[in-house]
Formats: sequence, C-alpha cells, structure tokens
Amino acid sequence: MTRVLEVSQVHKYFGGVRAVEGVSLTLEEGRVIGLIGPNGSGKSTLCNLIAGVEKPTKGTITFAGQRIDRWPAHRVVEQGIAKTHQIPKPFLAMTCRENVAVAAMFGSNKQKDLPEALETAGRVLALVGLEAKVDVISSNLTVQERKRLEFARVLGTGARILLLDEIFAGLSPEELRDAIALFVKVQGEVGFGALVVEHVMRAVLTVSEHVVVIEEGMKIAEGTPREVVENDAVIEAYLGVEATHAST
Amino acid sequence: MKLPAFRSPGPTLWGLGVFLIILAVSAPWIPVFLLTLFIGLLISATLAYSLNLITGLTGYVSFGHVVFMAFGGYALAFGVGTLKLPPVAGVGLAALVGLALALGIGAVTLRFRGVFFAIATLVVAVAALYIVLEITELGDGQGITLNVGFEPLSMFYTIWGILAIEIGLTFWITRGRIGYGIRSIKSDEDAANTLGINAARLKLFAYALSGLFAGAAGGVYAWNVSGAFPYDAFNLVFSLRMLAMIVIGGMGTLLGPLLGAIAVYIPSQIFLTVLIGFEYIIIGLVVVVIALFVPEGIVGTLRKYIPELRGILE
Repeated sequence: MTRVLEVSQVHKYFGGVRAVEGVSLTLEEGRVIGLIGPNGSGKSTLCNLIAGVEKPTKGTITFAGQRIDRWPAHRVVEQGIAKTHQIPKPFLAMTCRENVAVAAMFGSNKQKDLPEALETAGRVLALVGLEAKVDVISSNLTVQERKRLEFARVLGTGARILLLDEIFAGLSPEELRDAIALFVKVQGEVGFGALVVEHVMRAVLTVSEHVVVIEEGMKIAEGTPREVVENDAVIEAYLGVEATHAST
Repeated sequence: MKLPAFRSPGPTLWGLGVFLIILAVSAPWIPVFLLTLFIGLLISATLAYSLNLITGLTGYVSFGHVVFMAFGGYALAFGVGTLKLPPVAGVGLAALVGLALALGIGAVTLRFRGVFFAIATLVVAVAALYIVLEITELGDGQGITLNVGFEPLSMFYTIWGILAIEIGLTFWITRGRIGYGIRSIKSDEDAANTLGINAARLKLFAYALSGLFAGAAGGVYAWNVSGAFPYDAFNLVFSLRMLAMIVIGGMGTLLGPLLGAIAVYIPSQIFLTVLIGFEYIIIGLVVVVIALFVPEGIVGTLRKYIPELRGILE
C-alpha cells in the first residue's frame, strides 16, 4: 500500500515573521515533487515542519492517515520521513560507513544489529556512488561528497518519503548532470517519494513530475514543470526576481 | 567483508580488569595508610568515570556533578545515622538519590545546549547548597556526623565494586548501537534527531547513570569522612576536579578517566601535606596547557601520535 504525506493549510510564524502561510501539498510514495521559490520564501521551513524539526503554528500534517505535526523529529523519521540538511551535517569523526549505519540503526529500518547496519551502509553508499569512500572519515570529504553522504544517510534510514533540501545546489554543470542521473537511477531502484527543494531550476524541472512554487510563505502556483515555467505569476515572482539579481 | 569485532573486550578493558583484580586481591595486605589512599583514588576515579558518561560521551559539560556527590553523601549519612542502615546499604541509597536527582535535574537542564547547559548545572550546584542548609532533617546547616567504625577493607571493596561496574557499563555503552547514538549527539545533535535518534532520551539516560555513580561515590566519600557537611560536600572544587580529571585523561575514552584520576588525586594528596591550595594552581595550569596543546588528553594524544596504539588504547 502506498502511503501518502498530506500537508494542509500549514502556517509557521516566528514572532512577527510569517515564514509559511497556508501551504498545502500532497506527496505519495514513489512520486517526486519539486518545491521551488526565491530565497527566504519558506522552502526550508516547510521541510522542517514536515520533518518535525519545527512545529507548525497552524494547520495539519498527516502521513498514512496519522497526524504527525506534533511529533518530535526522531519519531517522524521512525515512521518513514527523513530530511537532508541544506548544509550537510555529517558526523565528522565517523567514517562514511558509520554515518550511514547510524541512520540504519535509528531510522525507520531500526536495524539493531551493528554489523548488519554496517553492511546496509556499504550497500547504500555504493548506490549513491560513494563506494570508494566507504571507510574514509567524513571530515575528509569534499562538499559534493558530503551532499552525497547526506543523501545516503536519508536512504539509510529506510524512509519512504525523502525531503531533499538543495542537494543539487552548488554543483558544476557536469556534476549536476551526474547528480541528476544518479538521483533518477536511485529513485527508480528504491521507489521512494521525494520533495525536492531546489534553487536550481534545471534539476527540479528534470526530476519532478509536479512542481509547487512558493513565495513569501504562500503557494503561488503548482502543476507540471512545463505549466509552472509558463505561469506568469511564477515568471514575475521567481524568475523575475532572479533576473533582476542577475542584471545588477 | 571484514568488520571489526565490536563486542570483543579489547586490550584496554583487559588491562583495566587486570589492574582492578590485582588491587582487589592485594587489598588485605596493603598497609592501612596506603589503603585509604587507594580508597580516595577509587572514589576519584568513580567520579571521573561518572562525569565521563555525560560530558565525555555526549559533550554536555556539567559543572554540577558535585550536587549528586553531595546528596549521595547526605543520603548515606541520613541512611546510616537516622535510618540505622548498614553503610553498604547507605551507599545503595546514595546511588538511588543520585539517580533520582539526575533524572529530575536532567529533564530540565538537558534542554539547554552548550554553554547554557553548563551554566544551568552551575546554578543548580550553587542553589543546592542553600537548599540543604535549610533542611532540618539534614543537620540544619551543620551537617550530619556519623559514628561508624573504621572499616577500610569493606569501604575499599564497596568503591572497588562500584568502579568495576561503572567501567563495565562505560565499555558496554560505548560499543554498539547506543554508543553510535551518543557519539552522533556529541557530533551534531540536530543531525542525530533527524536520523531517528531520540537525543533527549539518550542524553537523559547517560545523565541518569552519571548521577547514579556520582551519588554512590559521594556515599562512600561520606562514609570515609564519617559524615556529610554542607560546605565541604558542596564545594565546587569537586566539580572542577572531576572536569580536570577527564580533560587530562581524555574525554569520552575508557582508560582516560582513570589516568586523569591518578594524575589529579595523587598530587593533591602530596600537596595536602606541603602547601594547601597550591594544588589548584597546578591543576589549573595543567588544564590550560592541555586545552591549548593536547586537547585530546593523555589517551587521545597517545592515539594520535602513536598509530600502533589505536587498536589498543580506548
């Protein structure tokens, strides 16, 4: 049975700042949704709300029919929703294998047996193309490798819904092409659902079948990638802002 | 695929075991003045391992461990003096009081991170003294004097047993799943939470165990000095000594707290007879030097510069 993540009319205020105002979206296992919007539009906050890192001021989030919006983050992961960090946060003193093994032992897999978790970790690292770095201490990784490790860790938790916060950011065109190909391949194999939060338009438009656009915490458009890029509000709010930045 | 055998005891644990067994076997033949020195050393080591459980393993720096020790001391004094328990049962009571206090204090203070946690524990330590001073049953500010016979051997074996259990538990915790969970918290608590680790519960677990052993050590301390006296028991110097021990020995390691306890306790006994107070200047200087030049302490530094020791020293 495919499980569904349902975010409905979610608000988050930080004092007077309205970071998220009434955003709704639906994501089921196996599907990939893109979430785009200018800087500070509330994308990361929305991710944190779903992951249980922050609690919504108003609105509900359900997964497989259960309300999860008051749950602590670790419980959300146990139920099968895991997020990456925009700035990768590897456990620096551990090897890549150990980093992913932690995810396997504590995530929704709950592989309590350490050797087993370490083996799972090896498999997952191979899946994301880090097989050569398995026994490298993660503080020795480059930024790109850290992003892959971040991806490997959420996979290692066994989550069925992944919240991927800017995993394609800061890559060279070539690296981006490889990263997109890798993502599509892994998604096909594992079959997880993903909310891909992204600045890089090309990446989002390539990997997602459905795109949600938010600006100043509000949803301004959604649809297929093609519909979204042709939407006037989006061009004005998102691309317009980008274009203005580019010309100054 | 070759995977390290995580549950095998390893040379460090064997070494510690041999050290403890030799101590235990030879204890009846050790002259009394040396035996009391060893009792003091084992109390110090128990306190060092106790602080190691929370500060060494999770990275939460506690200045308040003297509280568990002091209340443990009062628990023993009250249990033996008022309830007429045998001293060993009094130590058990002390451990329970340490555990209960740690659960209560930890449930609140562990919500703070970093320096805020450290400050909160310091505040608790200062406040605790003034609370005890007001409690009539705990000597009404004068403390409790005990009238127990001097039994160095049973005292020795009690603290020996506590330390042995504590070292065993430290080993067990640092291996396997829980150890990885705790190390993840130390490394990055937010990342740990988002990978499914219940950081709040694991921290409280480590803190509660830590309180239990500090309480037990405080009980034996009170037994040793025949009573619990507020300005001695709540002296913040105990907290600072514990911190100095694990910083010098090597935070979060299996052998470090014992080395640190030896390094701090033995000189403190020598200075006691030479220049009172001089000890703190030396400890302070040593800690500053260690923090500046070899922050990993004795064990961490040896492991860093002598690769052959990595598989041996823990």
